[in-house]
Amino acid sequence: MKKIFNINKLVLSFSLTAVFLFGSCESALEVEPRQSIDANGALSSPDAVDAAINSVYARLRSVRNYGRDLFALADALADVGQTTSNSGRLIGENNNQPNAHFQAGFWQNSYFAINEANLIIDGLAGVQGASQAQRDRWEGEAKFLRALYYFDLVKVYSYIPTAVYQPGVIDQGGIPLVTQGAITSDAAFNRQPARASIDAVYDQIYSDLEDAKRLLTSRGVQYASSAAASALLSRVALYKGDWTKAVAESTLALNSNVGSVLSGNAYVSGWRSPVNPESMFEVRFALAEESIGVNESLQSSYTALLNLTNKNSQGGWGDFIPNATVRGFFGLTQLQIGTPATDNNNWDVTRNSDIRAQLYTTGNTVRGAGRQIECTKFLSKSGFAYADNVPVIRKSEMHLNRAEANYRLGNITEALAELNTFKGLRGLSAVTLSGNAILEEILLERFKEFAFEGQRFFDLKRNGRAIVKTTPNVNVQFDDFRILPPIPQREVDGNPNLNQNRGY
Amino acid sequence: MRKVLLLGLMLFLSSAIAFAQSRVITGTVTSAEDGMGVPGATILVKGTQIGVATDIDGKYSINVPSGNNVLVYSFVGLLTQEVSIGNKSIIDVTLQSDVTALGEVIVTGYGTQLKREVTGAVSSVKGEAIQNLPMQSFDRALQGRAAGVQVRSSNGLPGGAVNIRIRGVGSINAGNEPLFIVDGVQLNNQSNASFTQSNPLAFLNPNDIESMEILKDAASAAIYGSQAANGVVIITTKRGKQGKAKFEFNAFSGETQPMKYLDVLGGAEWYQMRRDAHVNSGVANPEATALLNMGARPSNWQQLTAAELNDIGLGLPTYDWQRAVMGTGRLQNYEMSVSGGDEKTTFFLSGSYNYQESSFKPVDFERGTVKVALSHQANSKLNIETNINLSTFQQNVPFAVAGSFLGSPAFSASAILPHNPIYNEDGTFNTSIGGVLGQNVVLVNEYNSGLQRTNTVVGNIVGTYKILNNLSFRSLYGLDYRLLQGERYTDPRTPDGAGVRGRASAQQDWRTRFITTQTLNWNKSYNGVHNLSALLGFEFLSETREALSGTGIGFPTFQFRTIQTAATPESITGFWTGYKRIGMFGSVNYDYKKKYLATLTARYDGSSRFGANNQFGLFPSIRVGWSIVEEEFLKESTAVSELKLRASYGLTGNDQIGNFAARGLYGGAGNYSGNAGIRPSSLANLNLGWETNETLNLGVDYGFLSNRITGSIDVFDRRTNDLLLDQPILWTNGFDNIANNVGELQNKGIEFELTTVNVDTRGFRWNTTFNFTKIKNQVLSLYDGLEFLPANPGIAVGQPIGNPAFAGDVAPGSWFVAEYAGVNPATGRPMWYDINRNITYLPIAADRIYYGSNLATTYGGLNNSFSYKGFELTAFFTYEYGAIVSDGQYNFLRENGTRLTLNALREVNDRSWTTPGQITDIPRNLTTNAGNEPRGAGRNSGSANLLKADFIRLSQVTVGYTFNTALVNRIGLSRARVYAQGLNLWTYTDYPGYDPEFTGAGTGQIPLTKNYTVGVQIGF
Repeated sequence: MKKIFNINKLVLSFSLTAVFLFGSCESALEVEPRQSIDANGALSSPDAVDAAINSVYARLRSVRNYGRDLFALADALADVGQTTSNSGRLIGENNNQPNAHFQAGFWQNSYFAINEANLIIDGLAGVQGASQAQRDRWEGEAKFLRALYYFDLVKVYSYIPTAVYQPGVIDQGGIPLVTQGAITSDAAFNRQPARASIDAVYDQIYSDLEDAKRLLTSRGVQYASSAAASALLSRVALYKGDWTKAVAESTLALNSNVGSVLSGNAYVSGWRSPVNPESMFEVRFALAEESIGVNESLQSSYTALLNLTNKNSQGGWGDFIPNATVRGFFGLTQLQIGTPATDNNNWDVTRNSDIRAQLYTTGNTVRGAGRQIECTKFLSKSGFAYADNVPVIRKSEMHLNRAEANYRLGNITEALAELNTFKGLRGLSAVTLSGNAILEEILLERFKEFAFEGQRFFDLKRNGRAIVKTTPNVNVQFDDFRILPPIPQREVDGNPNLNQNRGY
Repeated sequence: MRKVLLLGLMLFLSSAIAFAQSRVITGTVTSAEDGMGVPGATILVKGTQIGVATDIDGKYSINVPSGNNVLVYSFVGLLTQEVSIGNKSIIDVTLQSDVTALGEVIVTGYGTQLKREVTGAVSSVKGEAIQNLPMQSFDRALQGRAAGVQVRSSNGLPGGAVNIRIRGVGSINAGNEPLFIVDGVQLNNQSNASFTQSNPLAFLNPNDIESMEILKDAASAAIYGSQAANGVVIITTKRGKQGKAKFEFNAFSGETQPMKYLDVLGGAEWYQMRRDAHVNSGVANPEATALLNMGARPSNWQQLTAAELNDIGLGLPTYDWQRAVMGTGRLQNYEMSVSGGDEKTTFFLSGSYNYQESSFKPVDFERGTVKVALSHQANSKLNIETNINLSTFQQNVPFAVAGSFLGSPAFSASAILPHNPIYNEDGTFNTSIGGVLGQNVVLVNEYNSGLQRTNTVVGNIVGTYKILNNLSFRSLYGLDYRLLQGERYTDPRTPDGAGVRGRASAQQDWRTRFITTQTLNWNKSYNGVHNLSALLGFEFLSETREALSGTGIGFPTFQFRTIQTAATPESITGFWTGYKRIGMFGSVNYDYKKKYLATLTARYDGSSRFGANNQFGLFPSIRVGWSIVEEEFLKESTAVSELKLRASYGLTGNDQIGNFAARGLYGGAGNYSGNAGIRPSSLANLNLGWETNETLNLGVDYGFLSNRITGSIDVFDRRTNDLLLDQPILWTNGFDNIANNVGELQNKGIEFELTTVNVDTRGFRWNTTFNFTKIKNQVLSLYDGLEFLPANPGIAVGQPIGNPAFAGDVAPGSWFVAEYAGVNPATGRPMWYDINRNITYLPIAADRIYYGSNLATTYGGLNNSFSYKGFELTAFFTYEYGAIVSDGQYNFLRENGTRLTLNALREVNDRSWTTPGQITDIPRNLTTNAGNEPRGAGRNSGSANLLKADFIRLSQVTVGYTFNTALVNRIGLSRARVYAQGLNLWTYTDYPGYDPEFTGAGTGQIPLTKNYTVGVQIGF
């Protein structure tokens, strides 16, 4: 009897353990994530909003945005460089092959960032225990970032107000304009925005930047500031053909204490320091893990060098290098400066008096195309390989913006004076020009100044000009559909209100 | 199971009464399989109720009444034998294995069943069938063994991933992995090794497996409810057998060899090809430019004539990089097991060591296992048992599992320009490599290092208590615990490590899965004709996974190789995730005289993965069978020895989605300027619920000529409803997708299994088993009336989906591409068909058509085994047909060195267009515009690079000899067998890449190998 009792106790304990382990069914299924929080009320504390804003900045680092494409890919589409075939990258873009253009990821990442900014702006009222100064900063930075993403999107996917190609176009529109955050599945399923007009998009960018200007001060050039908002506004105004505004905002930016305009050797060493003193707003790469790596970083796209100390060290691919036009600007030809010739350190380039010529030198023979003349604006200045802070707006641009806007307003004297001042800063002598030649000279300086910084394609586009290629010798006329990229097919397929660009 | 029957038999027989006036016969019953005594075998005097059972050594003694002259020897799983006594008083009998036994018992959901009573679609693979195969995980050994089960090795990494699909691909986003159960413990079979693939199922020594049962139809699997949508594989490991301790020693060793080296161009040939391509492209100085591309242009080239430069090019040497990094590897396996026990306690212990190298050094696999199985009958009511499988394996890791990495030998060896010497004349590594693949992979391979270790415990404790004679309670507690550790070092002397002065990474990943199952079993027979049994159960499962990993850069010298010495931490990260499942289930089995069979099951399951409104689901099933052979008119027939019709219908669930897929979350991501960031990571879906599989199965089991011919035929229609689909969200709304229950998918097919004894005379025996599966997969519907998925138009109504390469991958769609039209014979330009079947050089999105998927439509296996007096020969073929694949490695080589300075396949280069009028599929070579015609599509675009991955493979050949039992007994052994074995010796295919059997992109993957082994098995 006793024995049986014992066994029953065993059975009992087996089954009791089971019962205790679960309690009720409902609670038995409760598992809470540990590295995420519920979206409901996620942005209710000041620390959370700070962190959420960081993520909107961080998306600028994407290869599809300032990590590479807004600089290297945009320049490849234009008349800045040629490709080496070292890794096979950027060839299609440089040849303006159909569909070799800004990629779906650019659209995706930018709209994700815009949604995050929208959620921050929508939720500001619900943040507990924040000061007015904090609220102003959050709103200002979120709006600056939203304006920047929209501006980058609209300049890529649409024509620029100063030069809209008209005939026979299916959709002259801008891009979908979304200013309300989506965090519920309802909004995500049901919202199918059409393309807003180009003007509506620029109006939204204006409005956001004006708010940013009003709300912000400065907390470092890696963050939005009032001056950076003015600077961006001056470029947006230039694209919009709002010349008075462009003059006013570039003046405001130049008068600010954010960033400095450099000349001479200081200009060159500015490019060699982690934070370029010219920057009014830059995208920060702070940690080694943020490095974009050997395949797609700006450094790797532009040069095969690892550093300037030893040119023999194997660096990136050097896929995209200056073409004859750019080499001609600075008088660049290969020059052997020592022996043996097999040592890459014994090679450099000839240069003219333009101080910007210092930003080009010979690479190395590690990759297939052999030693080439390369741009060295990006060379792991932050202290780890294949990541550089990316200057989105440099203060020098303000001179060029203002000169151009003044010219358009008929203020020829101011325009020429500012152009010559600028040329002096770069070691070039003043020019005496009149009429359209002044505009051409301003645009030429802009080309030289921002070569490999992604501005040229849009400068041609906003002036309605053809892309005149040297290598390959195939030009793209302004009426060619390849000026605009395809809108990601999945977006067109999934949104009946969204029209594809012509030709795709 | 054998043991249970045995116990019952002994009880029954002990009551038998011996008659007087008899003679005594003694002897030993041994098994032909291992030469050991068979304890508990029955000896009956024919035509009487008189019988005895053998003792622990297989010895017996029986009183035979006068007038009776025949003894019947029988044992479960062995062929019954009758012996005339004559005037003998000692009769030793050797019983043969009953290979055609339909009386065999197979394991089904939470129980066992006689095979002849099974009414679902269940395939069974015995442990012997896969014994001693030099394969690290049993899933790979299932290839071709069972109809409806498609198995593909993902690559040739020993212990790497294996792709197993039961009855097609039934889910797009929610996973297609079957449920693996080892000794009642449901395993998590996802691999999370950072540095190589470590197949979680490789923890188990395949030789410890007693049997594997594959539950294919929903009705058989429905008792596993939410886990069973993709079928269930139940693995039962070996248990102790009553009898005196039986030792078995098992060893084999051998080597692995590459199945194929790609036939690529030599140095001078590549130069010629490049030179001519430059000519085609109008490049100035084609000779000099070609040499420049190869890094072989002399510095004084401007002083040389074209002819002189040409001579330099034609004089370039050739080095075989493939043979420098690929070659023969070693493999060996040793194991020892002992099993035995008495009436109360049985045990099985085994230990094993396995080592195998791949064809790419240093990639290898090394495993040690220990297994313990104990069972103890505490008293007549209570049985307790435990099974514990301990295992550790470690793998030297490849440069990368896959991908076009310059430093990866598996990628670069066939693609590096062949004129580059591997070593300098002084024997040091050549570091100046011409061409886009500018790294010396032999050097990289030599200097880098990495190791991945996987420690696993899978075990259970089970108590079974007999409450009444026909009612028992079973309580199981199980654990699946796995620790993954890994490290990798990128040496600063290699190009990838130079920029960062060395990089070390380390990974730790813990996974703990706890399961408990409580079941009640009841059975009763009414009037001997109505047999009823029932099962009631409860199950709970909880899993957590936690990981920590870090990377450091900046090492003092290459001798410092662990993260401790890194100057800068590059990254440090980790994660935590978990989920829980709870379920109640029951089944009722009824049969009338074993003729009419019916089973009803139901399971009610809840999972933490689903939305708050939809966490629970019900999964019912019904199976019916009619065993025609039990009817009077067939009962005595030997022509028809088995005939049974089966029909089943059931629902099963799939919850293989992210643990928090239903939740709306903000996660940590987007750090900026040294400060932490957060961003929304998923949208909430409170209604997210199960993906349901609904399967109708009709089958017939047949046996003819006293079961000389047996087999089964099944047809099935498996429909997946409420697909757990990642429904695309417009990116303009800030998200990529949301998990939602939309869409339907169908797999329908036919399965055919056949086993025959072709010859069985005078000791010569020839057995054949054959299986064949044909499957049709298609999307039946999506949502909102869509004909294709916006984000992935390859997933389209009426088209098949593809086979996802790895656990956790999304199923790819059909190929949706413009069809390749070959090369314009006049100009050498590649052409495609537009949507109107006109020729175009630049196909657009609207020209795409559906072009099949990478899911094979037909597959199976064929085994022939011959035995004669101890000699045996086995030849096993597997085959696959109908998969259309893209092979990344081949795609690179198919560019024929035009886009990038990569080597080319000889057969591709020979086909490239050179002269007007030439009909071919490889365009003329160009070097400008990435090797493509201006304003023309890329040469690999559309269907141009798609390949048929059909093959027939001689997967296994074994020749063995078992020594005569009497002979080996003299030297104290009970059994001795020697054998030689070859794997993958021959493949019939016209596949141009390394091997048609792979999953994934195919780029830089280590291909499967040929294996040769010789082995010995000794029992004592």
